[in-house]
Amino acid sequence: MFRPQPQREISHVFPSLMAQWRNTITTTKSTTKISPQNGNSLRTPSCSVKFQDLYDFTVEGNIDDVNVLNEVEERVRRQGKVWWALEASKGANWYLQPQISSNGEGISVASLKLSVLANTIALKKLIRKGIPPALRPKVWLSVSGATKKRSTVPESYYNDLIMATKGKVTPSTKQIDHDIPRTFPTHPWLDTPEGQASLRRVLVGYSFRDSEVGYCQGLNYVAALLLLVMRTEEDAFWMLAVLLENVLVNDCYTDNLSGCHVEQRVFKDLLSKKCPRIAAHLEALGFDVSLVATEWFLCLFSKCLPSETTLRVWDVLFNEGAKVLFQVALAIFKMKEEDLLKVHQIGDVINILHTTGHNLYDPDELLTVAFEKIGSLTTNTITKQRKKQEPTVMAELDQRLRRLGSLNLK
Amino acid sequence: MLNHKFDSVKQVLLGDVGTGKSSIVLRFVKGQFVEFQESTIGAAFFTRTLSMNDQTVKFEIWDTAGQERYHSLAPMYYRGAAAAIIAYDITNPATFTRAKKWVQELQAQGTAGIVMALAGNKADLLEARKVTAEEALAYAQENNLFFMETSAKAAINVNEIFHEIAKRLLQSQAPQQNTGGMILVEKAENQSKKASSCCS
Repeated sequence: MFRPQPQREISHVFPSLMAQWRNTITTTKSTTKISPQNGNSLRTPSCSVKFQDLYDFTVEGNIDDVNVLNEVEERVRRQGKVWWALEASKGANWYLQPQISSNGEGISVASLKLSVLANTIALKKLIRKGIPPALRPKVWLSVSGATKKRSTVPESYYNDLIMATKGKVTPSTKQIDHDIPRTFPTHPWLDTPEGQASLRRVLVGYSFRDSEVGYCQGLNYVAALLLLVMRTEEDAFWMLAVLLENVLVNDCYTDNLSGCHVEQRVFKDLLSKKCPRIAAHLEALGFDVSLVATEWFLCLFSKCLPSETTLRVWDVLFNEGAKVLFQVALAIFKMKEEDLLKVHQIGDVINILHTTGHNLYDPDELLTVAFEKIGSLTTNTITKQRKKQEPTVMAELDQRLRRLGSLNLK
Repeated sequence: MLNHKFDSVKQVLLGDVGTGKSSIVLRFVKGQFVEFQESTIGAAFFTRTLSMNDQTVKFEIWDTAGQERYHSLAPMYYRGAAAAIIAYDITNPATFTRAKKWVQELQAQGTAGIVMALAGNKADLLEARKVTAEEALAYAQENNLFFMETSAKAAINVNEIFHEIAKRLLQSQAPQQNTGGMILVEKAENQSKKASSCCS
């Protein structure tokens, strides 16, 4: 289906992807090369082209999209310089020092040092503007709490886990094996035996770490993207662990996805509060927003947004917590408010949301709306809302189970 | 159940993981097949319009995720659906058992009068067959569904199953005005494309 891709001027081949950030910012500008699909003139703005993004995903768009992507790459480079400058003035790894947890239970003012507070605020602002790809592994491990989590077990934990689970077959491993070749199958690294073996080990390892989650479809996309960013299996594994165990709502991926059902209800409530016109319009159409938002929350946007945009969302997700998912989901609706209000068919609604997501090559366009146009949204609010929705969700799921249980298969 | 204004039909695809639900839709909507179809999370949405004599039926298809734990999401997708395709893999008996459960659930919880089709997919893998056509046919007749063996890969019976659904939906309705004639053009294109790939 895909034509061969031209090589880019600066090789981004995994795993050396952006490994030498310091070098890339001083080398010549990397220009995304494009391959015309129909052999038409590239000057035609509507001409559809395929190109590779920062993380080597093949994307399809027009010349404008390529230009946006190049601009984003340039902005990423500039943002990298900001981080290096700060490192020079604040000392190496300043961002790895203790932070005030903003995705935890709150701030203990008494034990606060001014310098810590200043760093936390600076870091929050900086992370919202994007973490340079080369620094993502270090910063993510630190701000998400993954480093701390890892420090509680022996250093050989991951290797031991992989050795102990090697060759074992469970329903989870069967499902994982089924999904591995179907995970971003056009990505050049994930399409290789090495890439697939890495992804398999991370997912299988996790399925044994938490047998209640085991393996849930959707985690394949999340783990794949974590691998591309973290560059080592072990780091990807710990990010997956902290994500499922600390960052996201409980039971998001277990059993009957009850956590996911809770999030969807919270989201519906928020949409009617933050975007009442859209919510009312969609309700009149009989359109349940969960029809599209379920995938957003389970794949953490990795299937609906371009890679760098997804990772910018994850930058903030790991630092500020799961409330970010709501802000971003609301932003996607908010950005298209006028368009959505104009359409009256479900297919058109889905089309608008789908196209918007896929063409969001500029992460700042999305994040500006998410953090500045939605109004404040705190972790506390989300926690309260979840508590409110939980009983209804549980009752509904239970009722469904009992109904199905009464249908005895002949 | 047809929406009179647009002749659109909500249809859902259900079935166990890896039975080829997404491949069936992709074949029907785009005339394509890919060996490694990305796994569906939640559900994916597709449309295609078919014309039957002087009437058109616009299918709004929800292609759902197959993993067991996703089944708690299914009611959202089959709620109000006028038609359903329940897929199984003819090389995997467990998927046939799962298909029967879906049939039961739709009979109990689905829209009244829903048109159900049972699709024994991967019919190109005859040498690996584990579920006989006779068994499936007998089950389908007992339960008032229609049955076809399909192959999304080899383009066998995929368009046919949707045509049969459209036919049955239209039969169950009083004749209606054709309000979606403009989409006929799109349909003609699809047909000519299909014709050329058939002959190759």
